[in-house]
Amino acid sequence: MVNTPNSIVMKEVTDPRELAIASSQRERFDRNSAWLQAHIEEIYSAHRGRVICVAGEELFVADDTEGAIALARAAHPEDDGWFTRYIPKERLPRIYAL
Amino acid sequence: MRFDGEWLLCDDWVARPVLRCEILAADRSWRAAEFLIDSGADRTVFSANVLKSLRLEAGPPAASVGGVGGTADVVTVGTELRFTRADSVKVLFRGDYLACTSPKSLDMSVLGRDILEMFALIVDRRSNTVCLLGGRHRYAITENS
Repeated sequence: MVNTPNSIVMKEVTDPRELAIASSQRERFDRNSAWLQAHIEEIYSAHRGRVICVAGEELFVADDTEGAIALARAAHPEDDGWFTRYIPKERLPRIYAL
Repeated sequence: MRFDGEWLLCDDWVARPVLRCEILAADRSWRAAEFLIDSGADRTVFSANVLKSLRLEAGPPAASVGGVGGTADVVTVGTELRFTRADSVKVLFRGDYLACTSPKSLDMSVLGRDILEMFALIVDRRSNTVCLLGGRHRYAITENS
């Protein structure tokens, strides 16, 4: 178990340009996340054991992370709000607590 | 200071408390990511697929992390997380984070005590609330008569 003290420094972003870019990206992330939540049952049923990437409110699936991202980026190069998830092969009760 | 998370459906269609944020990648772009809020985890840990998407140079392998299923191999990466406050201000958390190297070890990144203990944490399924409170924000527990 790695349980050593870790120093994390918190800092507020104050640059208006950086904030505007970050907010726009977050809006795209929000849309992609909401889209996944709306389609999650069908997506998870169909793609167990694979990696998904959501971009442009569209699904991209591959056997590995690089493949899913490549498909998403090719289809929606303008969307920086994409994100990935690995879908475990089995549906099991989960205990995380690393 | 207040950061709102949400209850998101996971692979088993169970809603779990998640904080969405961005992580600084090797090319200095920000990558959207989801973190399971895990008050039992000692450290914040990136899943393997998030680690791959960041393309960060990993430090030497950290020993390992342990959980119910045994241990998992991890590496250390130095980067920043970017959270969005309830008032839309962005806040960065710079530090060394752990990352799993096998996708089977951790299907979703976890936000652990290294960050959570900087705040008061509310995880309340009944009221559909997930939030981190700090600074001038406090919570109150009341009893109805």
